[in-house]
Amino acid sequence: MSSLSSSLPLLEQPGPRRWRSSQRAGLALLVLVAGFALLGPLLIPTDPAHQQLARYLETPSLAEPLGYDQLGRSMLARLAHGARLSLSLALLSVLSAAIPGTVIGLLAAWCGGWTERVLAALADAVLALPALLLVLLLAAFAPGGFWPLYVGISLALWVEYFRVVRAASRILLASPQVEASRLLGFGALYIVRRHLLPALLPRLLTLVRFGLAGAVLAMSALGFVGVGLQPPTPELGVMMIELLPYYREAPWLVAAPVLVLFLGLLGLLLLSPQGEAA
Amino acid sequence: MNAPLQLNALRVEDLSVWHGQQQLVGGISFAIAAGGVLTLLGESGSGKSLLAQAIMGNLPASLRATGSIFLAGEHSDAADGSRRQDGWGRRIALLPQEPWLALDPTMTVARQVAETYELVSQSAPDQQNESLRQARSQAAASARRALASLGLEAAADKYPCMISGGMAQRVAFLATHAAGAPLMIIDEPTKGLDVDRRGEVLALLQAAQAEGMSLLCITHDVWLARALGGQLAVLQDGALVEQGGAEALLAQPRHAYTRRLLAADPARWPLPEVRLPCAQAAVIVEARELSKSFGEQALFAGVSARIHAGEVVAVSGPSGSGKTSFGNIVLGLLQPDTGQVIRAPDLPRTAFQKIYQDPAAAFAPAIPLRRSLQDLVRLHGLQWQALEALLERMRIAPALLDRLPRQVSGGELQRIALARVLLMKPALIFADEPTSRLDPLTQQEVIALLVEQAREVGSAVLLVTHDADIVRCVADRRLALSPAGQSVQ
Amino acid sequence: MDLNRFLSARGGQRLAAALTPRLLQAVLVALLVGTLCFFMTRMLPGDMAYRIAAGRYGYDMVTTEAALAVRAELGLDRPWFMALSEWWSRLLHLDLGVSQVTSQPVLAEIGHQLGPTLRLSLLAMALSLLVGPTLGVLAGLHPGRWLDRATLALSVGLRALPSFLLGLILVLLFSVQLGALPAAGHGDHGGILLPALTLALGLAAVSCRVARDAMVQVRQSEYFAFALTKGLSPAQALVRHGLRNVAVPVTAYLGVQLVMLVEGVVLVETIFAWPGIGHALVHAIFGRDVPMIQGTALVLGLMFVLFNALVDAACALLDPRGRA
Repeated sequence: MSSLSSSLPLLEQPGPRRWRSSQRAGLALLVLVAGFALLGPLLIPTDPAHQQLARYLETPSLAEPLGYDQLGRSMLARLAHGARLSLSLALLSVLSAAIPGTVIGLLAAWCGGWTERVLAALADAVLALPALLLVLLLAAFAPGGFWPLYVGISLALWVEYFRVVRAASRILLASPQVEASRLLGFGALYIVRRHLLPALLPRLLTLVRFGLAGAVLAMSALGFVGVGLQPPTPELGVMMIELLPYYREAPWLVAAPVLVLFLGLLGLLLLSPQGEAA
Repeated sequence: MNAPLQLNALRVEDLSVWHGQQQLVGGISFAIAAGGVLTLLGESGSGKSLLAQAIMGNLPASLRATGSIFLAGEHSDAADGSRRQDGWGRRIALLPQEPWLALDPTMTVARQVAETYELVSQSAPDQQNESLRQARSQAAASARRALASLGLEAAADKYPCMISGGMAQRVAFLATHAAGAPLMIIDEPTKGLDVDRRGEVLALLQAAQAEGMSLLCITHDVWLARALGGQLAVLQDGALVEQGGAEALLAQPRHAYTRRLLAADPARWPLPEVRLPCAQAAVIVEARELSKSFGEQALFAGVSARIHAGEVVAVSGPSGSGKTSFGNIVLGLLQPDTGQVIRAPDLPRTAFQKIYQDPAAAFAPAIPLRRSLQDLVRLHGLQWQALEALLERMRIAPALLDRLPRQVSGGELQRIALARVLLMKPALIFADEPTSRLDPLTQQEVIALLVEQAREVGSAVLLVTHDADIVRCVADRRLALSPAGQSVQ
Repeated sequence: MDLNRFLSARGGQRLAAALTPRLLQAVLVALLVGTLCFFMTRMLPGDMAYRIAAGRYGYDMVTTEAALAVRAELGLDRPWFMALSEWWSRLLHLDLGVSQVTSQPVLAEIGHQLGPTLRLSLLAMALSLLVGPTLGVLAGLHPGRWLDRATLALSVGLRALPSFLLGLILVLLFSVQLGALPAAGHGDHGGILLPALTLALGLAAVSCRVARDAMVQVRQSEYFAFALTKGLSPAQALVRHGLRNVAVPVTAYLGVQLVMLVEGVVLVETIFAWPGIGHALVHAIFGRDVPMIQGTALVLGLMFVLFNALVDAACALLDPRGRA
């Protein structure tokens, strides 16, 4: 052998991979929409519920870039508050789903036996129905309320984390790397830290992305068909259905929430590392 | 073949493979006579696969070839791969490295063989007058006859997922042979196979040769080169270092590299000096009447053994006889169906360690090796210098530790794994086929290190291997497993 | 695809084993929907019994006796676990009750609505399968070229447009601007095209990329390379080995798409006022019509399970690996 080591020379540096241009575009969009949602309500002093009927469908001006809606409310303020509402609910649901889902998935895979089987059966029960159907049923309990929406979305999302974490953990826990660590004397926490979580992280991040997108979508879809949050709450879907009749006279009013929703979802989609389909 | 017998089946002149301006394989020239055999012997990284791809016309887009290739007298420029592509199946055939992956998982075995008869075989143009259905039924019949000739009638209607690796190899052979190409390139046919399977492969190749086919065999397996005979060419780092008649070359190698390669064959390893029997040493672990089944299949039954400190026990048996399960049971990772395992009472839990067949699988893939090793040192309150000393004895450069497991070669990773295990001062090391995935030279190194270091710390070794020569040279005792029971030598 | 082999030798045994999880799922759906609706009747504001009685006899005619009778009938005066078991038993006997809004038996109403929903979903599925995988396979044959990039951009764009937005845009584009297609209603055949297109585009966006990724993987696979080295021409290898292997993951992914389909059906029917089960569900929620909520949710859920079972069967036919 000519060299001391039989390993090939290192071509790549160990470390986080470089981001593709589509991912950077996605991040930019997301930062834009999230920034608007978080900072907008703080920076825009107008009250989104304040009606000035005289300003019915007023065209956009410098002072009011999106004009006024059919009840004379500032469209920009409503949009900002609506975006914040969607984002906060989405984040809340995803966190409420991800943390318990991951922990329970790890527990199920680690304990095995009856614990695992019972938990898996529970997850299958929730998955028996498409998520939106479940959310609809829960929304039927208190139409227009915030809680059924939150509980329904969190419940539907929780299962995904559980399933993915459990399936991946089962395989990993039976793999040689974990077996070797066990033989070397490492305990459960180390195995979770060094073996399970690094392998699970990419999948969990994907789930978070899709969870956020799904939650925002569910909320606006239900608002649009009238079963979710109700007017006058500034919610993107509610705004769309409210402003639809005025499409001819003031198309920018309908276009605004559509655009915000579209850009937000697009940003989330573009963030995927391989441009994967699913 | 209609060509006169003086024409070589394959002649290669000054064939080189380039990556941009860098020459990966250079100036190769050889010839295979009609009906003859040439074995290209070399380790991984020597460029033998690239050579095969260049001859086929199958190089990846980033590489290019220069030189001349004569297929049964017909000249083609090495750079012009598409000309040879036209001859795939009809003039030149390739038996791939992993036959199991080469079969379409959604198509039955018989149909995959019949396909070649139907679409590719040389008589296909003659059948232009016959109807499609006739051609298809004739092809199906020919396929079944071919399968029967190799003992595969029972598998004809099965899917590739239902047949064994050896059967898959024979099916792939038939599928590619059906078109009657006079030259066949065979890529690493015995990689990772045990002794019985290797014999089957050899029989297959010899039968093909008996029919008049010319063979170009690419391998790192010295045993196969010896058994095939014919001509032999030794490849090192992209250059041909030696070529000539196989028998003569293997008996009297001239080049230093060839000599090293041959010496690495376990059949040539020196017998160990006589060692005192270890029966007086302390018993580390005792197994009583162990048995285990996998589903419906019984792996072994009634196995009893005692392993003493410092001895090397080889566990052998045909594949599927549960050697890995036996070791796992001794280690306490698996429960036996019957019987018990009694370990010496004063040993810590970490006194039982394991070396894995695939070294990369034994490390956490996402963190650099240094960090995993530091975690270990910290966990047990050991000294980092002790590990460094071990690594130095394994001849591992410290810079390698900063890499991820997948960036380190198999042989070096296995040595790092060995150092890791030895750091725990184990009483028993279960080495599960630790070298079957490694090159012959690396193999010798790793086995030697394993036995030497284990003896130094007084640790016993339970070695699983299918290579009888390794057993002979290294083991103090042998434990043969079979479904009927066991025999101890 | 050997149907004979699948159905013969121990076929019945295998079929039962394959379908059991789906049967279990159907039971779970019924239990879930039924239990939730049961608790809905207990928890909704306003006196349930009074409203049901009013629904039956009309608000002017209802008396306290009638309300009390309904109360007893519904078991609202008994502890919940007893009432729950009665609810379940009624469900098992397929007694879905009477709609509180229309006073018609729920089963009858659903009977009317099932047709339109089935027609819509089947047409949407057919359209998406026609367009999506075809474009995906073509894109996968030449990865990196213009068709691949175009389908990727279209697919990402469409997936960022949820079905209700897409429906909205299509309605605005076609009916308002061009005056071409009727926006709502079920009268003429034109009415089904827009909602089906809305659903189909969303489904096709995903199945296109799944097919494309599968095609790329198949072309890089060992068995595809082997087919070529055997001597098959690229076209022959594609047809004989490529397509069937692409069909396997595409069919498996249909299971996920079914979720999108059922959810989309609910939204699209509501937007286009298509008189199907999804539309009825949303209306029932508006009207707090619990029997209808239960009935429609149940049928939608069971439809979901049935389609999933069909996809399972298709997968088993295509991929022999599951059979071994």
